[in-house]
Amino acid sequence: MYINTTSFKTVYYLNNNYMKNHIELCINGETHHAYGEDAFLPLSDYLRTKLHLVGTKEVCIEGDCGACTTLLGRLKNEKFYYETIDSCISYVYQLNNCHVVTVEGIKNSKLNSVQESMITSHGAQCGYCTPGIVVSLYSFFNSCSKKTCTKSDIQDALTGNLCRCTGYETIVEAGLTLDNNSIEKLSDIYSEDKLLAILGKETKENIEINTNDYVFYQPVTLKEALKLKNENPDTKILAGGTDLHVMCNKRDFSLKKILYVSNLKELKSIEVKDNHITIGAAVTLSEFEQSVSEYYTDLKEFLNLFASPQIKNIGTLVGNIANASPIGDTLPFLLVMDSELELESVNGKRKVNMNNFYKGYKSLAMESNEIITHVNIPLLKKDEILKLYKVSKRKHLDISSFSAAIRMKEKNGIIESFIIAFGGVGPTVQRIYEIESYLTGKRLCEDILNEAAQMIENIIKPISDVRGHKEYRLQLAKNILKKFYFELLESDKKKVLA
Amino acid sequence: MVTEEKIGNNIPLDGAEGHVTGTSEYVSDISKIENELIVDFFYSTEPHGEIINIDLEEARKISGIVGLYTYKDIEGENKFGPIIKDEVLLAESILEYVGQPIVIIAGESKKAIKLAKKTIKIEIKKLPHILSIEEAIEKNQFIGETRVIERGDIEKEFQKAEYILEGNTRNGGQEHFYLESQAAIAYPQENNTLEIISSTQNPTEVQNVIAEILGIPFNKIVVKTRRMGGAFGGKETQATHPAAMAALVAMKTKRPARIVLSCDDDMITTGKRHEFYNKYKVAFTKEGLITALKVEFFSNGGYSNDLSTSIRERAMFHAENAYFIPNIKTIGKVCKTNLPSNTAFRGFGGPQGMLNIESIIEDIAIFLKIDAFDIRRLNCFGIEKNNTTSYEQEVSNNTLPELMDKLLKTSNYKERHKQIEEYNKNSTLYLKGISFTLVMFGISFTARFMNQASALVNIYTDGSIQVSTGGTEMGQGLNTKISQIVADEFCVEPKTVRMMITSTEKNNNTSPSAASASTDLNGTAAKDACQKIKTRLIEFASNYLVKDNSEHKPSINAIEWTYDGIYDKRISNKKITFKELVKNAYLNRISLGERGFYATPQITLFDWNTGRGKPFLYFTNGAAVSEVRIDRFTGELKVLRTDILMDIGKSINPGIDKGQIIGGFIQGMGWLTTEELKYSEKGELLSHSPTTYKIPNIQDIPEVLNVDWIENGKNVVNIRQSKAVGEPPLMTSISVWTAVKHALSFISNGEIPKLDAPATSEEILKAMSRFPISMKV
Repeated sequence: MYINTTSFKTVYYLNNNYMKNHIELCINGETHHAYGEDAFLPLSDYLRTKLHLVGTKEVCIEGDCGACTTLLGRLKNEKFYYETIDSCISYVYQLNNCHVVTVEGIKNSKLNSVQESMITSHGAQCGYCTPGIVVSLYSFFNSCSKKTCTKSDIQDALTGNLCRCTGYETIVEAGLTLDNNSIEKLSDIYSEDKLLAILGKETKENIEINTNDYVFYQPVTLKEALKLKNENPDTKILAGGTDLHVMCNKRDFSLKKILYVSNLKELKSIEVKDNHITIGAAVTLSEFEQSVSEYYTDLKEFLNLFASPQIKNIGTLVGNIANASPIGDTLPFLLVMDSELELESVNGKRKVNMNNFYKGYKSLAMESNEIITHVNIPLLKKDEILKLYKVSKRKHLDISSFSAAIRMKEKNGIIESFIIAFGGVGPTVQRIYEIESYLTGKRLCEDILNEAAQMIENIIKPISDVRGHKEYRLQLAKNILKKFYFELLESDKKKVLA
Repeated sequence: MVTEEKIGNNIPLDGAEGHVTGTSEYVSDISKIENELIVDFFYSTEPHGEIINIDLEEARKISGIVGLYTYKDIEGENKFGPIIKDEVLLAESILEYVGQPIVIIAGESKKAIKLAKKTIKIEIKKLPHILSIEEAIEKNQFIGETRVIERGDIEKEFQKAEYILEGNTRNGGQEHFYLESQAAIAYPQENNTLEIISSTQNPTEVQNVIAEILGIPFNKIVVKTRRMGGAFGGKETQATHPAAMAALVAMKTKRPARIVLSCDDDMITTGKRHEFYNKYKVAFTKEGLITALKVEFFSNGGYSNDLSTSIRERAMFHAENAYFIPNIKTIGKVCKTNLPSNTAFRGFGGPQGMLNIESIIEDIAIFLKIDAFDIRRLNCFGIEKNNTTSYEQEVSNNTLPELMDKLLKTSNYKERHKQIEEYNKNSTLYLKGISFTLVMFGISFTARFMNQASALVNIYTDGSIQVSTGGTEMGQGLNTKISQIVADEFCVEPKTVRMMITSTEKNNNTSPSAASASTDLNGTAAKDACQKIKTRLIEFASNYLVKDNSEHKPSINAIEWTYDGIYDKRISNKKITFKELVKNAYLNRISLGERGFYATPQITLFDWNTGRGKPFLYFTNGAAVSEVRIDRFTGELKVLRTDILMDIGKSINPGIDKGQIIGGFIQGMGWLTTEELKYSEKGELLSHSPTTYKIPNIQDIPEVLNVDWIENGKNVVNIRQSKAVGEPPLMTSISVWTAVKHALSFISNGEIPKLDAPATSEEILKAMSRFPISMKV
């Protein structure tokens, strides 16, 4: 099955302009080279079928159950940072210079104390979700400096891992009884120096992998990326792949040509300046969550509901924007904030307001040679209120049936400005301008909000689908205005009491 | 003979180390043998139709496709079913549901199979289809006979009743969502025999069905099951179909053949927990004493019976749950629809039966404006009187009143009930509700013949032990408990006992691991084997221990068998270890292996003509209190606190039992809250993966969850005075659903709020919107 790497490499260097034709990664400390079709496999498939590392289970293959959870070690400032990912929707081509650690790799000769604790707390029953649970729980302790953890720490660490047997309680116990100091860390198991020697070389080579069916490009600079996109406008831009890979796995969809942008330095920036925040297209949702949620009330809690750690650790904010789902969870927030996208092509840069970006269902106001490089989100002004809502069948890790964002400025009981956007009520996430203009200048009171709610019936035309009937969505859209009002009242009451 | 009790120790799950390191092997993990084929199938996309033509021409040409088989390739019988033979492995002329297998595909690669699926063309003449229970009732489409259980005179009671309520209740189905999907490997062996590795709760059924489909004797097939990655009833009968497909391919091609269903295909093509629609009429006094109840159960069976008729019967046995109802009539019918055949799921009809009566009681409470707890306490089965079920089985050793009284105190129910009333008066954003429900679940297979088990115990000359039973391990801890039972019989440590792979060549004619009774049955059979060996060893020891001693004659009554060693109490300084004993017994040609057998005593064959019998050996009981909070604007539900108190007899392994209780509760909570099966008008399952089908997540567990059980050493009819624990706790989750009803009652102005299960946000919002929102601010 394996091609003799040395000879293959030699041939390749002769025929191409020093472009690398494979992915080089470490798995549990061992070096692997993925050539040709192997590079186009989901990581879970590669682990199970090529390496027989079958502790990583494949269940839903859409990033919703966590049975395939593995650790992804990425190099930042000469050090490896490990985070969980769903290996079923992470493909090998995304992993150049990464260190993947599977359930088989999180211990030395004897069990680590997370594993011990899972055994003694009866945290495993049928055992099928267990490797994923163990990896997620271990990951939490591996990257956390706290000595012990709380119930909600464990819940947040395991949001992306479904278990059908235990009812989770014993798993929580397994975490609560752990002393972080007793846990062997990955840096104890794997020599950083050894890993750096293999993966630490700065990538100066572009990667291009060709098979009969697919092409994968990983340029080193944005300039080269733009050039590639210009020459190959049918190339799909891919970062985290948490949406596109689900389609590949599930829907007879294939990515023939891929332009991978997550490693582009130019797109990794997070900057706060001039009353706005700029987020690069390669910034993961986890990075976004950690660095900016303090600037926006509600956003932290909202991002906690939005997705599992496994998704947020690899998926990007700009990916969520580009995917253009009518229920994309960050979109109502970005629309009410009047966020702006920076688009770039070989012809230059331009900016577009996100409220003008969605033309119809999954249809974007951008050219085929353009790349979204950044999103600029204005900061919330001190006297503004922001509320974010997500209603789904299950509170966490579920796709919304309905979502909403409201940004309001009120003075002396009068609404000075009111900005509202809905998700899940039409082909795109949309601003509800009629409501905005109706409410602006009005008194902030129950009757006025009720009147606005009544108007909604004539503005939106939601559809019925697996996530809810149209009547339900309409009802939610109306009720959310009332909920917004009563929440304000409640918080005012609390303020008075305080 | 003295034994030091070690049962009841909280030892870790057998296999847990493998689970946490990822080294436990499941079907899809087994290394591929050279030459192995991948098996898959092409299924119907129509709910009902006549097959006009099957065109496999293009598919046959695809490189890597090795075999394409239709029902015509079945050499044995394409007809089977655990109760009624009304199922086919591959559709013949009629298609009866979306997901029905038509063609088995065997290929060298997934890619080839994917391609083959695209090229198979089936010409179908569409026929009208039925999906709903109502439509089946209207068109008189039923499976099996109608069943009736009746006691007293309901009509007379309805005439003189103080109050009568009439209505209906409905619950949705539930996907098992075992993480390991259906899977099997068939290895062809010499002389047209097969060895099958199957992820099944029921190796014997897999063996028998495969043999029948291939038209060969049962003894040509050996089925083995190491473990399952979850099952919950979904692999009791329905693991058979994929295993039979692999077997057919292996037999045809003489190559190993493996089938592993994708999560989506598994959900689309296999059966689920039964949806029920029930009509009821209940008479009661102003105090809430139920005097008469009539219930008509209608379950959605899908296209064939599978276990539907039995499941319907258990729903009827639990129609009254934990309450004495003097005049009662239950009628049960199974509706035939164009859906995959619904099947066993933890509780087996019990949850549906109980949900109905618990809903009725909640309604009576709302109607009478009495605390629902008081109504439940009033109607609860008594100890001395009012303690027979509708089918006249005595509720003996009744612990229900004790559970109610204890949990009432520990949960602080009354006080919290009051607090909630206050809270709801002042809350603009949320409504809270609280509810206290009971579970009384009958233990034994209701089909009497299934209550039997065998076990094989082999001791080796180093003192280590192997045990094989017909029971299968799916995470419920069966193997751990049996190893504890066996270890305790011989006074050795459980780690001395190795639980072997379940195999039909070691244990024949086994019953499925189901009905919560696997430890009861297989554990007792193992104990029987141990005791037979022990009898021989004691006899041997009685001679061996006095052989150099002329003072004493051998006496088996003088033998003491303890964890410290085996000795003759007259010569207590001479102790031998278990290892020494078995080694010497072997040298003296004493058999160190035995087969044990157990058939549950006391239970009788149920007489459906009279509706009388004793189907259950005993009842496992439980009580639960749940407090919930619902969002008045979105209908979103949060379970704030649940307290569960069970009677599980004497626990063999508290850690495992606690895991079963919590796991069952959360699984039931999923069924009643977020898990919703959505179908298209054609009967295609739309919620066929975890993206759209939402089982509880770690964030959904109650903020506070207290689980406990009472001390009960009275269940002497069962092994080690234990009680079965697999299914009963699932039904404690009904308290969550009834608590939602209670919350809704605060805005319904005395009206009974209409709520179906599952109580999704959408369902709750719909229920709330029936009542105008009047908010005090």
